[in-house]
Amino acid sequence: MLNDVVFGQYYPVKSFVHKSDPRIKLLALIAYIVALFLADNFYSLALGFIVLIMAVIASRVPLGRVLRSVKAILVLLVFTAVLNLFFHGGDNLLWQWGIIKIYREGVIFTVFFILRLFFLVMGSALLTLTTAPVELTDGIESLLTPLKWIRFPVHELALIMSIALRFIPTLIDETNRIISAQKARGADFESGNIFKRIKAVIPILIPLLISAFRRAEELGDAMDARCYAGSKKRTKYKKLAFGWRDVIIVLLFAGLITGAVLLNVYADTIFPEIYEYIRLG
Amino acid sequence: MSEKIQPENAIVFDNVKFSYPGSGEAYAVNGVSLTVKKGEFLSVIGHNGSGKSTLARLVNGLLESDAGKITVLGLDVDDSANRKEIRKRVGIVFQNPDNQMVASIVEDDVAFGPENIGLPRDEIGRRIEWALNAVGMSEYRHATPARLSGGQKQRIAVAGVLAVRPEILILDESTAMLDPKGRREVIEVVTRLNKEEGITVILITHFMEEALLADRTVVMNRGEIVLSGTPEEIFENGEMLEIYNLCLPRITEIINKLNTAGMGLEQVLRPEELASGIIERFNSAGIVNAVSPHGKPRPEKSVPEWDIDIENLTFTYSKKSPFAVKALNGINLHIGGGGFFGIIGHTGSGKSTLIQHLNALIRLPQAEKRYRRKRVKKGSPAPVLPSLTVGSFNLADKKTDFKSLRASVGMVFQYPEYQLFAESVFDDVAFGLKNFNKKLPAEEIEKAVRESIEIVGLDYNEVKDKSPFDLSGGQKRRVAIAGVIVTKPRVLVLDEPAAGLDPLGKKEIMELLHKLHREWCSTVIIVSHDMDEIAENCTKAVIIADGKAVMCDSPENIFGREEELYALGLDVPLVSKISGILAKSGITVNSNCTPEDFADKVIALYKGGADA
Repeated sequence: MLNDVVFGQYYPVKSFVHKSDPRIKLLALIAYIVALFLADNFYSLALGFIVLIMAVIASRVPLGRVLRSVKAILVLLVFTAVLNLFFHGGDNLLWQWGIIKIYREGVIFTVFFILRLFFLVMGSALLTLTTAPVELTDGIESLLTPLKWIRFPVHELALIMSIALRFIPTLIDETNRIISAQKARGADFESGNIFKRIKAVIPILIPLLISAFRRAEELGDAMDARCYAGSKKRTKYKKLAFGWRDVIIVLLFAGLITGAVLLNVYADTIFPEIYEYIRLG
Repeated sequence: MSEKIQPENAIVFDNVKFSYPGSGEAYAVNGVSLTVKKGEFLSVIGHNGSGKSTLARLVNGLLESDAGKITVLGLDVDDSANRKEIRKRVGIVFQNPDNQMVASIVEDDVAFGPENIGLPRDEIGRRIEWALNAVGMSEYRHATPARLSGGQKQRIAVAGVLAVRPEILILDESTAMLDPKGRREVIEVVTRLNKEEGITVILITHFMEEALLADRTVVMNRGEIVLSGTPEEIFENGEMLEIYNLCLPRITEIINKLNTAGMGLEQVLRPEELASGIIERFNSAGIVNAVSPHGKPRPEKSVPEWDIDIENLTFTYSKKSPFAVKALNGINLHIGGGGFFGIIGHTGSGKSTLIQHLNALIRLPQAEKRYRRKRVKKGSPAPVLPSLTVGSFNLADKKTDFKSLRASVGMVFQYPEYQLFAESVFDDVAFGLKNFNKKLPAEEIEKAVRESIEIVGLDYNEVKDKSPFDLSGGQKRRVAIAGVIVTKPRVLVLDEPAAGLDPLGKKEIMELLHKLHREWCSTVIIVSHDMDEIAENCTKAVIIADGKAVMCDSPENIFGREEELYALGLDVPLVSKISGILAKSGITVNSNCTPEDFADKVIALYKGGADA
């Protein structure tokens, strides 16, 4: 069902990660991505892995659930990995078939590349698994607040995001209902060539659009009637609270970035023989 | 020394006219003069398109009048400087609860109004608490509206409006999309706010029973106010209401009928009052114990080749996810071919899931393409598989021709007009026909479409080339039904076919279904939460509760078990309510639950007893 696509992400349990401030989680994710791209060797990447595992454990989301999120980019991952493997040059030839040559450096780079992407996707998935969409938009709004200085419509953007979220389940229900109704009238969405299938979508799309416009109009009236007049003089009820959990997260991720930089600099001094073997480029 | 005079009137309309742009001289509101006093509870009734909703939007400046003057709490609505103040003091709750909410969490949504008028944070908190408490939804403060029932959502919408602390509350058909329980919840809240908080209430409604609760009722027709008075006064002249395309409340219908037989009952509004009135008349006529004969069972045709048999039907949504919901929990049900069958149950009881099995929109697990028989461990009992047959179709078999099943089992969903899509009425109606039979010649298609459009009561030549979106609400619904019956299905399933229509529209839709049933449709199955609708139309009905079929019987027998129905949180038809009270005083009226039959039986008992 369509429902799973949207709600499949948030995993409702109570945990350290679930309870921390969405703003901090967003910033932590950015810090994590930065750290992953700073990492230029396996040692700093391993540090990223350790932080990821700690976060997964603290989130109490089953590991399988987090891993499943990687499925979405699996094709992309395999495709780029194969390209890297075949076209990465190097000195130590491992295998050759015609013009295709695989070097040891290519293998090491590919593994590094895959792991980095893997951690990145899992880290982002952890954010959406532990943060309800509503909290996420609140977090984004709060983080964007400084942009008000350059007249960026932060409040309007946040309201649009909030309304979009609010209407996703409603419109999914509506879509399901329309699909069922047209199927009951013999519509076939599963067979035929691509053009036939695109044509088959019209009986769903048109009623859905019309209904969305009707809803928008009614919502506009309802908002007007509830005294909405833009962001001027408007107050805000919801306040995000910064707690002790967030301090821990900030410290952890500050540590991660520092650690990644230090490991980049001193990597060749840790087990030099191993490092020499797995060094990149 | 200019002391501000507090105006006594909440709203004053003085000869107000309004027409929608592009509609020329056709006034939606045509010369309305109306005064609503502070603290008054006013109900406004009128058929679809009579101008009721336009009236509501004029009050707070969502629409601007073309002529005349509107004053709200002493403020002139036309003066745009007053608009903000007026919107603060006039709250409107609209029809569709889904389309009034801006936030995904209840308290954030209720906070929206107070935030807009710039209240400080702690005051907003207090208002949320007060408003949610006033509508009895405090415990849902942190819930998400998507998982609430219609009535609960609408109460949240009322709370969102209340949080701004309006002095006037307008409900613009706010109960039209709710089930009876939800409707009762909202109406109770509103009545209490009027009585206890002194809020002026304007209730715009299609339900005559709701209109009765007001201090005063106004009837609108073609943009004009045609009648005004206490509900009793309004409903006394039934002929007038019929001219304005309205119906009498059922209770008034019964009283009027009893009075033509000389029982001389007072016009009352509650079933208890009517029952005690009848008892009093019987007692003064010296009748103590009376039992009416049972009515003849309704004529039922029998078409056994279209029997429907359901066994062990179980269904769970989002299986294996944290949001799994068990919708059906072992349904066993026999629907005899030829009946006019009713399915009763709350929102969320599993009714909709059940009917979607009937034409394999939801397939039985064995009929799924990927189904493999599970290996059964030795010693453990074999798993019970559901079975479902509709006529000669076995829905548990993968090889069944599901396409011709769908052509034979027509399904009309709730608000089917929202599924119209084609450029012309003709194309929309022909859609199903072309899907089911791709090689049908053009003449045959035209013949079937014409027949179908005519049977739903529309003029074929007039509407066939029109865009379905240019039709009125009632016409759209007819076109949508025509699009389903165009294949002449032998079993027709309808989910809330009359929902959201005005009383006359409801009556016409039910008449249409009876006509189809008489002509070529073997079985009609309607899902409804209107008990009176079931009582008056069905030959048999089933009650679905918590995914199970709890009772399946004739309406007379089902509604005779009042206590059990109340325990399930369901209502009974008005007639059963009155009969129940009468029975306690020794007057047993065995009617078939329709107002006419009930009145006839009571009259017969009254006359028979008085003669003896």
